[in-house]
Amino acid sequence: MDRNSTGLVFVLPALIVLAMLVAYPVAYTGLLSVTDRQGAFVGLDNFSAVLGARATPQAFWNTLWFVGGSIVFQVVFGTAAAILLNQNFIGRGIVRSITLLPWVVPGIVAATTWAWMFHTEFGIINYMMTGAGVIPEPIGWLTNGSTVMPVLIAINVWKLFPFVAIMVLAGLQSIPNDLYEAARVDGANFWQEVFHIMLPQVRSVIVAVTLLLVIWGLNSITIIYAITRGGPANRTLITPIQIFRLAFESTNFNQAAALSVMFFAVALVIVIIYIKALASTPGEVK
Amino acid sequence: MKLKKLAVIATAMTMLASGVAFAGDVTWWTPNFNEARAREIVAKFENANPNVKVKLEITTSDGLPQRVLTALQSGAAPEVIDVQHAWINGYAQNDLVLSVDDVLKDRDDYIPAALDYATWNSKLWGIPYRIETHAIIYNKGAFKDAGLDPNKPPQTWDELVATAKALSKGKMSGFGITGGGEMGNTIFRSLPFIWMNGGDMISADGKKALVNQPAAVAAVKFYTDFFKNKQAPASTLENDGTALRRLFIAETVAAYQSGQFDIASIKKENPKIDIGVMQIPHPADKKTAALLGGWSFVIPKSAKNPTDAKKLVGFLAEAENQGALTDTFPARKSAMSLPRFSDPILTVFKEMLPYGRAVPNNKNWIQITQAYFDGIQRILLGDEDVQKSMDGAAKDIQALLDQK
Amino acid sequence: MSEAPTLKRTGLPLPITIIGAIVLVFICLFPFMWMFGSSIKTLPELYTVPPIWWPETPTFGNYYKVLFESNIPRYFLNSVIISVGSTVLALILAIFASYGFARFNFRGKPVLQSFVLVGQLLPTAAIIVPLFITLRVLGLVNTFWGLILVYMIVTLPLSVWMLTSYFKAIPVELEEAAIIDGASRIGILFRITLPLSTPGIVAVVVYAFVTTWNEFVFALCFATDSSVKTLPIGLAEFSTEFNTDWGAVMAASVVMTLPIALLFFSMQRLFVGGLTAGATKG
Repeated sequence: MDRNSTGLVFVLPALIVLAMLVAYPVAYTGLLSVTDRQGAFVGLDNFSAVLGARATPQAFWNTLWFVGGSIVFQVVFGTAAAILLNQNFIGRGIVRSITLLPWVVPGIVAATTWAWMFHTEFGIINYMMTGAGVIPEPIGWLTNGSTVMPVLIAINVWKLFPFVAIMVLAGLQSIPNDLYEAARVDGANFWQEVFHIMLPQVRSVIVAVTLLLVIWGLNSITIIYAITRGGPANRTLITPIQIFRLAFESTNFNQAAALSVMFFAVALVIVIIYIKALASTPGEVK
Repeated sequence: MKLKKLAVIATAMTMLASGVAFAGDVTWWTPNFNEARAREIVAKFENANPNVKVKLEITTSDGLPQRVLTALQSGAAPEVIDVQHAWINGYAQNDLVLSVDDVLKDRDDYIPAALDYATWNSKLWGIPYRIETHAIIYNKGAFKDAGLDPNKPPQTWDELVATAKALSKGKMSGFGITGGGEMGNTIFRSLPFIWMNGGDMISADGKKALVNQPAAVAAVKFYTDFFKNKQAPASTLENDGTALRRLFIAETVAAYQSGQFDIASIKKENPKIDIGVMQIPHPADKKTAALLGGWSFVIPKSAKNPTDAKKLVGFLAEAENQGALTDTFPARKSAMSLPRFSDPILTVFKEMLPYGRAVPNNKNWIQITQAYFDGIQRILLGDEDVQKSMDGAAKDIQALLDQK
Repeated sequence: MSEAPTLKRTGLPLPITIIGAIVLVFICLFPFMWMFGSSIKTLPELYTVPPIWWPETPTFGNYYKVLFESNIPRYFLNSVIISVGSTVLALILAIFASYGFARFNFRGKPVLQSFVLVGQLLPTAAIIVPLFITLRVLGLVNTFWGLILVYMIVTLPLSVWMLTSYFKAIPVELEEAAIIDGASRIGILFRITLPLSTPGIVAVVVYAFVTTWNEFVFALCFATDSSVKTLPIGLAEFSTEFNTDWGAVMAASVVMTLPIALLFFSMQRLFVGGLTAGATKG
């Protein structure tokens, strides 16, 4: 049987659409990155201008910090929530649905609501914390250099841990019962089940979900942009927002394109390393 | 010779063809706060020009620069767009809008600073219709409570500092400054202090960064000290102009810089406040200054129907129509005599207009202000002192100015 | 899974489970409670220091403003059309593509597979302008189809990726038996593979729908006409240049959130059913 061409026929429609709407933008971005506003070729000038800006390295480290910090907590909380939601208790169905809410709500809604809650004067969070005596006086959560990034990470974790939770929950539910039975025969307790059955069995799901989170994280604009726009003093400036600012606020599409090309290359390397690291271990993404 | 003639004919044919294809349709993007007034004016225009149909598309300020740019770059732009003055130069330098020298009549009737914004390469690329500057809005009741005479507001920097100090007690902050939100808010409020002190952000020839020169540093220190000395709210780093108005309404800020557009909502949301307006104080031996802001019309280069677009813009630019459309003041002096601008509360705002200045035209202006704004935030965060922070900003700005 | 579990599992002690569930619910719901509380406050109540928990005289004026004095209902309809359209389209293309990737070997497969994923990595800001130009060439600016296509390519890569792993997890033997019986590839896909991949399909649908429903940046730049604008843009419209109407913004947020929340509550049975169906495949 000619499996070769049959497979291609199945794949082709999606590929054509993607090629049309993705390949062209990529090529165009590449072109913009080596030309000036008038379209004349300028070599690597745009790249050196971007690399020379003080904000660029700062944004790069902020991106790693934001994406890395978010993912660790998203995965930990998401998995913990999944294990909890896999228990039997009354109202489990409702709790499962409620857990999904943060993920379902539009990013812009989440951002405006949280920004409102974290407001220094009118925000409910300062009110609650000063009232409970946790903090002596209101904190400028979103304006204090040392709290703003953790707060944004927390909001981002809140937004996306439910996604990890459902994916892991689906994985947990597909664990065959005989594995638990066997463990039970050996007298395993709950925590032993978690570490010897559940986590190993959902490892592939977690690995896959983490890759998604990396990709989304590297491309997330809405939450930070809506809350701080990268401020104060670039403390929360991440590279995607720097690109956005360069292009749409500074009208410098050529430098924005140059930064995009570099960012894309770095992102690609990170993803390739991640996939390679996975491929070399057993239990790879199925 | 022959070739040239041919080219002319071809161009004429193309113009004719496109003219025929799109005759009579003009799409105009205007911001949502203009909607009601714009509809009235469109009706008037269509009455006068029955063969032109205007399609009004309402825009919102959130993300407007991005949307306008996308439309301009894509080549599928509407015929007329309302944009803020400061955006025009970027469009002109990127060859995205049409020159409107042939549309604007009565140059002398316009406030010069407004035309400065729209000028590049000695041509005009937009027509200003709305202008405004800030003044200081203050709470007369708070003045009385602090033992100050509400009818004798401070006039110099030293007096403002003393007043802010006297006003700051309990929940009340004496003088609100911005340090967050969209950076334009802070440029609008702090750059005039630099100007009135004889400084600037960059030199007139656009070659040298000046933010770390003594005049600018003193002004930045004056501005940021309100926060450092706790005369501005703790939330300063997240406050933009709207937030300051909220705090003013909540009676936790006693005075702040803003435009006349704030008056109506203050009156509506807290009628108890007795509103006063004062000119922005200046150094003892110098004159005040303000940044002139507002909106202009531009005609995108890729507009399909430039002929009728110019007709519409010409109509909108007439003194009477400008006067009707603007949310603040019109850009033409003759329109200023309309009754709607004679409300006494507007007097001080009107007095400030002649002190209004345009920001410099530089292709990297946004990035320059970003560098300056980052510097302001570093000061407010307590990362660096004023001189060090402005030295850093000057270095960033110089790098931008040195780009070919 | 039916009512009577086949065996008793050891589990977390019940009190810990309950406490955990309460904390979880609180964390997830609290912002929505605050959002709702704010939406029924009057403007002065929104801006009092310290903030008040519950307004003395709750007002639905903000909702009236959102539902009857704004374009929100229209944008709601637009959001539904665009989300459903792009989800269906992405799902169809993803099913075929994933089946091709999961079940066949052909030249260049690894390259093509990475190509699909790479699309997901492109910086949004960088592709907006070229994408807009593409849409213009196709005559699709400010049309439902334009936005549907854009969102389809946003969601397609991950949909393909997710479904491929689900298809791969289904034992090939089931299909091989059918091939021997003479069934066509398409027949097998629809009669054997798809029913066994319900969790995967549900996951893809949910992912694609939610992503499309919530997307802000593309909609901001591509939907410039009120006939195609989506809800997130509607939310932004409440913030006018000098006047952020927080009560109305929060009311609009509730209006945006409620339907999708209700959808999930009603789909919950199906959703979980789909997930547990996956569990039986072993």
